[in-house]
Amino acid sequence: MTSISKPKAPEKKEQVHRVLLGKKQILVTEDEPLLVQLERAGIHVEYQCREGYCSSCSIKLLWGNVIYPFEPLAWVQSGYLLACCAIVKSDIEIAFFD
Amino acid sequence: MSYSTFNRKHFDSTKEPMFFGENVNVARYDQQKHPIFEKLIEKQLSFFWRPEEVDLSTDRKDFQRLEEHEQHIFLSNLKYQTLLDSVQGRSPNVALLPIVSLPELETWIETWSFSETIHSRSYTHIIRNIVNDPTKIFDDIVTNEEITKRADSVSKYYDRLIEMVNLYNTMGMGTFDVPGRGSIEISMPKLKKALYLTIASVNVLEAIRFYVSFACSFAFAERTLMEGNAKIIKLIARDEALHLTGTQHMLNLMASGKDDPEMAVIAAECQDEVRQIFIEAAEQEKEWATYLFKDGSMIGLNAQILGQYVEYITNVRMQAVGLETCFATKHNPIPWINAWLVSDNVQVAPQEAEISSYLVGQTDNSLDDSDFDDFDL
Ligand code: FES
Ligand SMILES: [Fe+2]
Ligand SMILES: [Fe+2]
Repeated sequence: MTSISKPKAPEKKEQVHRVLLGKKQILVTEDEPLLVQLERAGIHVEYQCREGYCSSCSIKLLWGNVIYPFEPLAWVQSGYLLACCAIVKSDIEIAFFD
Repeated sequence: MSYSTFNRKHFDSTKEPMFFGENVNVARYDQQKHPIFEKLIEKQLSFFWRPEEVDLSTDRKDFQRLEEHEQHIFLSNLKYQTLLDSVQGRSPNVALLPIVSLPELETWIETWSFSETIHSRSYTHIIRNIVNDPTKIFDDIVTNEEITKRADSVSKYYDRLIEMVNLYNTMGMGTFDVPGRGSIEISMPKLKKALYLTIASVNVLEAIRFYVSFACSFAFAERTLMEGNAKIIKLIARDEALHLTGTQHMLNLMASGKDDPEMAVIAAECQDEVRQIFIEAAEQEKEWATYLFKDGSMIGLNAQILGQYVEYITNVRMQAVGLETCFATKHNPIPWINAWLVSDNVQVAPQEAEISSYLVGQTDNSLDDSDFDDFDL
């Protein structure tokens, strides 16, 4: 494991949003889906297909907005998001199982 | 009403419910009530594969070197998978085609079943490659008590629906005395309820029972054993992910009332029964885990861990169809399974990609170094 360096300031053109998960806060951009960004922050999220057709990565969206560049094949329950293909568009709060 | 292979009535199929409306006549996809089913068809076709493409030559040697209790685990698991796909290769066709009313859904059911036949053929490919006498293994599927118990639970809802639809198609509505079966009431609500419970039990079969078996297959591959087998199971798992999405759509469309308002009432009425189907299946899978590991466990997997995975995956699947989760296990006890389940064409290497996110405003005091173990900055 390499040492943890100080976070760099985000580039100005990047839209950065906060993701609240319990007591954790993760910064994400709109460049990539939520799943990869959570994984990089060391958070384990269930997944299988990573392209929107299996629903394994379904996570509760307590508030905030996400969009899907391509409509996923999996059913998205209201109040949930599919992490593998959702692009975060505002600060959001998410939760795993109750 | 009796089934017709080419319904002569004029009707707008986009106004029909998914099931128990008009029999489909023209197989047309220019107008669709639920376009999702055609998307599933396209995806399934893009997944096409043949078992013979997977080389199993090292699996034979691996198998011979397994300890006896490990051979028991491997073979029992394979027998169970063979049973499940035997059921899935025919039942959606037999049970659902006579009652489906949308062309895109009819074709999805056929495409779905066809892909199951590839799975079945792949088990023969595997078994032929690892043992000299496949007969013993296949024959045991209908005699081994532990397996036949499983067969009862995966086929009973299908069988009941098929029986009721047969009566409906020959006799219509009413209460009928069936020799050896007693009196059976046929009404639209009863038929729809039998259908709803069947779809729920199929979802359980593909989304829970199969995943428990995948865990066993991949546990061998985690130890670099039976890797040809794991390659096949990966392809099967990719198909199953699509199939379970199909039944999740059916269940959610039914419950939402968007497809058939009467079905929404029935879905609400049998919510408890559906919960029970999930819970019972989870308990059966835990029992099965005990049988698998009765003579000893293997590195990385034992009855207890597999039981926890059963609980975890059941929670995931219940949530996906709008049911409250009911098991205590909220974390995947075998997170390594996801790297096996993911399709090869998808890259999963977070550490290789450019870092564009980082933790900020850390307010969790309990967070320690181990929380960072998995990522490099
Ligand atoms: S991982 Fe399959 S839908 Fe997200
Ligand atoms: Fe299958
Ligand atoms: Fe399947």
